[in-house]
Amino acid sequence: MSYTGFAITEILIFAALGVLLHLQFGRTGIVNFGVVGFVGVGMYGFGIFTTTLGLSFWLALLLATVATAVVAMLVGWAIAGLDGDSTLVATLAFATIVFNLAITEKWLTGGVSGLGGLPYPVDAGGSSGVYLLAIIAVVVVVFVGYALRLGRVSYGRLLASIRDNELLARSLGKSTTRQKLIFFVVTSTAMGLIGAFYASVNQFLVPNMLGPQLTFTVWIAVILGGRTKAFGPILGVLVSVALFDLVIEPYLPVPAALAPVFPDLKLMLYGLVLVLVILFKPLGLLGGRKEARA
Amino acid sequence: MIDAVVIGLIESAPLILAAVGFTLIYYLNRFINVAFAETITFGAYVAVVFNSMLGWDIYTSLIPAALLSGGFSVLTYLVVFRPALNRGVGPVEMIVLSVGLSFLVRYGLRALFGLGSKQYDMRDPSYLSVFGTGITSSQIVSLLLVAAFAVLCYVLIYRTKNGAQVRAFASNEDLARISGINPIRVALLVWFMAGVVGGLAGVFTGTFALVDHEVGWDMILVLMMVVIIGGVGSVRGALIAGLAVGIFTSAISLWTLSPIYAQVALLTLFIIVLKLKSKGFAFLKLTSTRFTFRKKVRT
Repeated sequence: MSYTGFAITEILIFAALGVLLHLQFGRTGIVNFGVVGFVGVGMYGFGIFTTTLGLSFWLALLLATVATAVVAMLVGWAIAGLDGDSTLVATLAFATIVFNLAITEKWLTGGVSGLGGLPYPVDAGGSSGVYLLAIIAVVVVVFVGYALRLGRVSYGRLLASIRDNELLARSLGKSTTRQKLIFFVVTSTAMGLIGAFYASVNQFLVPNMLGPQLTFTVWIAVILGGRTKAFGPILGVLVSVALFDLVIEPYLPVPAALAPVFPDLKLMLYGLVLVLVILFKPLGLLGGRKEARA
Repeated sequence: MIDAVVIGLIESAPLILAAVGFTLIYYLNRFINVAFAETITFGAYVAVVFNSMLGWDIYTSLIPAALLSGGFSVLTYLVVFRPALNRGVGPVEMIVLSVGLSFLVRYGLRALFGLGSKQYDMRDPSYLSVFGTGITSSQIVSLLLVAAFAVLCYVLIYRTKNGAQVRAFASNEDLARISGINPIRVALLVWFMAGVVGGLAGVFTGTFALVDHEVGWDMILVLMMVVIIGGVGSVRGALIAGLAVGIFTSAISLWTLSPIYAQVALLTLFIIVLKLKSKGFAFLKLTSTRFTFRKKVRT
């Protein structure tokens, strides 16, 4: 796949994860700082099912998603009933565990030398990547459609009530812990599905892909674009990852002296943007100026 | 077993120091400051500048490292966190904000100092044996200094007038204000103290290993765990939990010969403890006040 094609596919991956985080954090108030953990399980699950066990693309995709579902249930059970701070640290701890196991369990993951030769969904020679891109684009559209629909149905209002005042929702007879758990498991499983697609995009897996940068990038997209809006993460990805990978990196003439620190400057700028957005536009680019606080 | 305790004690020394600083900020402002990781890294790099580049003795380098880290911590408070708190940013958004600041500073430091890790110039690496476990003299000095600073912090918070003001402010801000306590002075004191111990923790971590841009980041997850398990803003709880974490980690490391497995085991244990704690297992609590308060609300 060409650089542009790869970059666009990666942007779609981040957009999909952004919409899922929007569902978890923006709609329901679940502080998931372990996005990369679920992505990692899907990713490595797909890698192991296709290379070690030699299964076909779609079967491996299904099994990787099921594997993530099992892990998501465990994590969901563990964080059920915890407050925001504890949830954040517990999910971050979970992601770190996944990262560490990807390094140590060499018999399963190939360790730091990696896992290679993953298949595409359609084997069409040089244009295999284009089919993959199209499939992921469809998935993003489905996710956004679901997020938009959630704004109109009573289930969406139930989730919003859990986010805004869980005690009140519970006193009105809603089983908030159970609803939150189910919603968390389903959306986290979807993150695993995206992880499986991401594995196919990359064609080669190494543990470094599971670093905290991925979670951070998804959070940037959601906060920057507007966490309460379905299109927020899409806009957020466009003005962060897409701006850098499709515009600045290929077209901006970077002086040779700056080239080695360019990745650092990118992450510095991400950090700065995050600080500025929370200080001056807390609901993101798409959020209103002075709405009722989410 | 003795090995695990001695090594655990030594390796958890910087962790305990950092936990005290981290918990002070949590205590006063009620949010998890992830950028505290960068205060630790900052301290470690300041010592690199004075020790490796300017040729100061490592112990003398502790002084500028401590003071500049304190200043750095105060700066992050004044420029970023205070405006955010004044704008009424929620606790989760405060964490996201601190993660942003953390990335800004960390990759700034990496761009400045380069990718490679640095090492301190230690003059006296003489080896000693404590209960059959080999440790260096500099590790003993570090351990003693850590103990001294931890005690100092404890005395400052629990035994002085300034400390009483800090505690008053943390438990009831409005009441503290109308009692005539200057909020800025209290905040600056806490953020400076937290920065000083954080920076020192960075230097001590560096004396045991190497310094790179991830010194603080490697520690922050365990710090958050220690503080949450130790109880919100309890210096005592942070001390006990920090020590337990250090000994547990070194025991598992010695047993499985892999520090990575030790971390996995620690994180798993942490998640389980959090779960049990949320279910109200009384034996797990190290501090009682906040817990009973919550229980009253529930019933």
